Amino acid sequence: MIRGKSKECIAMLLAGGQGSRLKVLTAATAKPAVPFGGKYRIIDFPLSNCVNSGIDTVGIMTQYQPLELNDYIGTGSPWGLDRNFGGVHILPPYAKSSKSEWYKGTANAIYQNINFVDRYDPEYVLVLSGDHIYKMDYEKMLKYHKKKGSECTIAVLDVPIEEASRFGIMNTNPDDSIYEFEEKPKQPKSTKASMGVYLFNWDILKEYLISDEADPNSSNDFGKNIIPNLLKDKKKLYAYQFDGYWKDVGTLESLWEANMDLLDPDVPIELKDKNYKIYARNYAEPPSLISRTAEINNSFVAEGCTVKGSVKNSIISTGCKIAEDAIIINSVLMPDVEVHSGAVVKYSIVGSESTIGMNAKIGEIPEDGTKKDICVIGRGSDIAAGSVVIQ
Amino acid sequence: MKMTGIIFSNIYDISLGDLTMNRTVASLPFGGRYRLVDFVLSNMVNSNVSSIGIITKYNYQSLMDHLGSGAEWDLSRKNANFYILPPFASGITNVYRGNLDALSNAVRFLEATKPDYVIMCDTTVICNINFEKALDSHVESGADVTVIASRNMLNYEGSDSDLIVIKDKNGKATDLAIGQTLGCDSLAGMGMYIVEREYLISIINSYVARGRYSFEKDFLLSRFADDRVNINVYEFTDPVLRNHNILAYFNNNFRIMDEQIRDNIFKTKAPIYTKVRDEAPSYYSESCVVNDSLIADGCKIKGKLDTTIVFRDVTIEEGAKIKNSIIMQGTVVGKGAKIENAIIDKNATITPGATLIGGSGSPVIVHKGDTI
Repeated sequence: MIRGKSKECIAMLLAGGQGSRLKVLTAATAKPAVPFGGKYRIIDFPLSNCVNSGIDTVGIMTQYQPLELNDYIGTGSPWGLDRNFGGVHILPPYAKSSKSEWYKGTANAIYQNINFVDRYDPEYVLVLSGDHIYKMDYEKMLKYHKKKGSECTIAVLDVPIEEASRFGIMNTNPDDSIYEFEEKPKQPKSTKASMGVYLFNWDILKEYLISDEADPNSSNDFGKNIIPNLLKDKKKLYAYQFDGYWKDVGTLESLWEANMDLLDPDVPIELKDKNYKIYARNYAEPPSLISRTAEINNSFVAEGCTVKGSVKNSIISTGCKIAEDAIIINSVLMPDVEVHSGAVVKYSIVGSESTIGMNAKIGEIPEDGTKKDICVIGRGSDIAAGSVVIQ
Repeated sequence: MKMTGIIFSNIYDISLGDLTMNRTVASLPFGGRYRLVDFVLSNMVNSNVSSIGIITKYNYQSLMDHLGSGAEWDLSRKNANFYILPPFASGITNVYRGNLDALSNAVRFLEATKPDYVIMCDTTVICNINFEKALDSHVESGADVTVIASRNMLNYEGSDSDLIVIKDKNGKATDLAIGQTLGCDSLAGMGMYIVEREYLISIINSYVARGRYSFEKDFLLSRFADDRVNINVYEFTDPVLRNHNILAYFNNNFRIMDEQIRDNIFKTKAPIYTKVRDEAPSYYSESCVVNDSLIADGCKIKGKLDTTIVFRDVTIEEGAKIKNSIIMQGTVVGKGAKIENAIIDKNATITPGATLIGGSGSPVIVHKGDTI
C-alpha cells in the first residue's frame, strides 16, 4: 500500500551516459555531474527546472561512475526535493529475480523503473536528459499537452536550417502535430529540433515501453524506437515550441561555448534571476579575496577563490587560486584549480583540482577569433612548471 | 557528545549601537557572507557538539530567520538537539541583567540534555577553535571552570568588560580581574567557558535567586577572591578577532583579508557554515577595478573597489568608487557614487552621484533599507 497523494506529473532524468565526448572531464564522473558556470553542475539545470515548474518527484537513472553524482544529489535538499512522499530518487540498475542487466538504452532505463513510476500513480511522465543547459517552465508545456489532447509532446527549438542536420528534427503539420521524426536528416524539411524533453501520458508510455522491450531487435531508445512506434500507430504527438536559450553540452567545444555564453549579454541565459533560481549544492566557502595585483574583466568568479592575477572573459569556479602574474583568458576553470605565477591559460577548460605550474602555457589564441579546438586539462592534472600544452 | 553548547545572542547589543538596532549581535553580518553566530556555531558543530541552545531575549526575528532548522550546520537531525531559547512570557521581560540571568532561561534545556559538560559562548569573538581540546584541558585540570583566553597582543581591541587572567605553568588561574588593561603576562578571556552541567545548574539557581546575575563578576570574581573556585585557563593561540564595539567590528572585517588570518579562520577541515542563498557567482564587468576586496556571490561589480567587503547580491554600478567600506547584502550603489569609511547595512540604496565619507576611526553608518 502506497500512502500519499498521487502525483499529476513526475520527471525521469536520464543521467546514465558516460559522456565519452567530454573525454578527460568524465573519466571518473558522470556527465550530469560535470561542473558548469562557476558553481553549478549540469544536472542543476533540469533539476531546478523541475522544482521551478512544480514537479516534486524526480527519478534520476544513473549507471556510469555514479559515486560523485549520488553524493552531489544526496537527500535532494539543495533543490527542496527532500520530500516525505516523492522528492528525488537515485535509480541505478538493480538485480531482479529473473533477469539482471544494465540500462540498455534510454527507453530500457525507464522500462526497468516502471515500478518506481507506478508508486506515484502519475498521469504524465516527463523524460529529461542530464546534459542540457536551459531554463524551461515544464508547467507551460504540460498545459499545452493537455490543451492539445496530446499523448506525447516533444519540446522543440527553432534552429538555423543550415544546422538542422545536426539534430533530431520534428516535421509538423500546421497545428504543430508531428507526422515525422528524422534523426540528423541530410535534407531537413523543418527547423524544429528536439530538445530531448518528452512529456508522455504514462499509460501510453508504459504500454510502448513494454512492447518495445518485447522486441528483440529494438535498441530500446526513445528517438530510434519509442517515438517512431508512436508515430506509426498514429498516436497524438505534438511539438511544443520553446523560445529560450538551450544548449547541448555533450562536447568539449559546446561545454566551453555554453560557459562563454554566460558572459555574453546578448545571450538570454541569466543565472541571477530572483524569480527563477538555479539551485546547486553549496559548500561552505568564504567570499573570494581579490588582491591589489588582481585584474578582472568580464568574468564570473564564484566564492572561495583567491585572485591575484589577471582574469579576462573567463569563468572561475569555487575555490580556485590564481597567483600573481598568472593570466587567464577566455577560459573555464573548474572548482579548486590552482594556477601558479607566470602561468598563462587561454581558450581552455581546466578540470577540477588541477594545478598549473609556474610559467606553464596552456592553450593559444585562435587566429580567426573563433576557436573550435579548445585546450582541455583533465581533472586532477598536475601541469609541471614551464610546460606548454596546446591542443 | 560530551558537551552541550550555550550561545548568548544578545550580550554586547548595546555597544554595537546602530548595527544592532533591529537585530541581535549574533545576527550581525560579518565578512561578506556570515553572521557573527556562524563562527561560534560552526566551532561547536566542528567540535562534535550537537546539543545547542541559543539564548535570546529580543530582536530575534532575524536570528531565527538565519538559523532556520539548523540544517546548514547539520543540526536538523533527529539525534541533534538544537533550540532557540526565547524568554518565557511569564518571566521578567526587561533586558538581561547578565549572563547568569540569561542562563536562568535555559535551565530546563540544560536539565534535559545528556552531556556532562557545557560550553558557553558569546558571539562577538571570532576564531576557529576546537572545543574538544579545551574540554580535554578542563577535564585534565580537574578545575571547576575553564576560561578560554588568548594573549592576542596584535590588534587587541578588548572591552572593559573583558575578563583578564594570569595563569601559572599548569594553566591554573593565579589572578583574575575585570576592567584592567591587558599586560604582557596576562590573557584576555574570549567569553567562552567550560563547566560541568550539574555544577552550572546549581550556580544559576543559587545566584540568580539572590539577585546576582553576572557569571564573571558575581560568580567567578567573588568566589575566586574567597578561594572557593578552581579556575583553569585554556590558552588559545590562533588569531582571535573581538567585535566588542563598532570600530573593532569595522576593522576586523578587513583583517580577514590577511591571508594568514583567512586561512586560519576558514579551514577546509573545519569550515564556517552559514545560510545558503543560492546566488549566482559574482560578475565582474569590463569596466570594474577591484583591489584588496572580499566579494561574496551574486554581486554585479562594475565600479571601483578598494579595501571593501561586499556581501551577497550587491550591485556596484559603473563609476562608483568605494574605499574602506562594508557593503551588506542586497545593497545597490548607483553610478558615480563615492563611499569611503562606511558601513552600509542591508538592502540600502545609494543613489547615483551620492557622496558618503566617514572618518577612518568613525565609519559612517547607513541603516538597513535606507536610501541616501
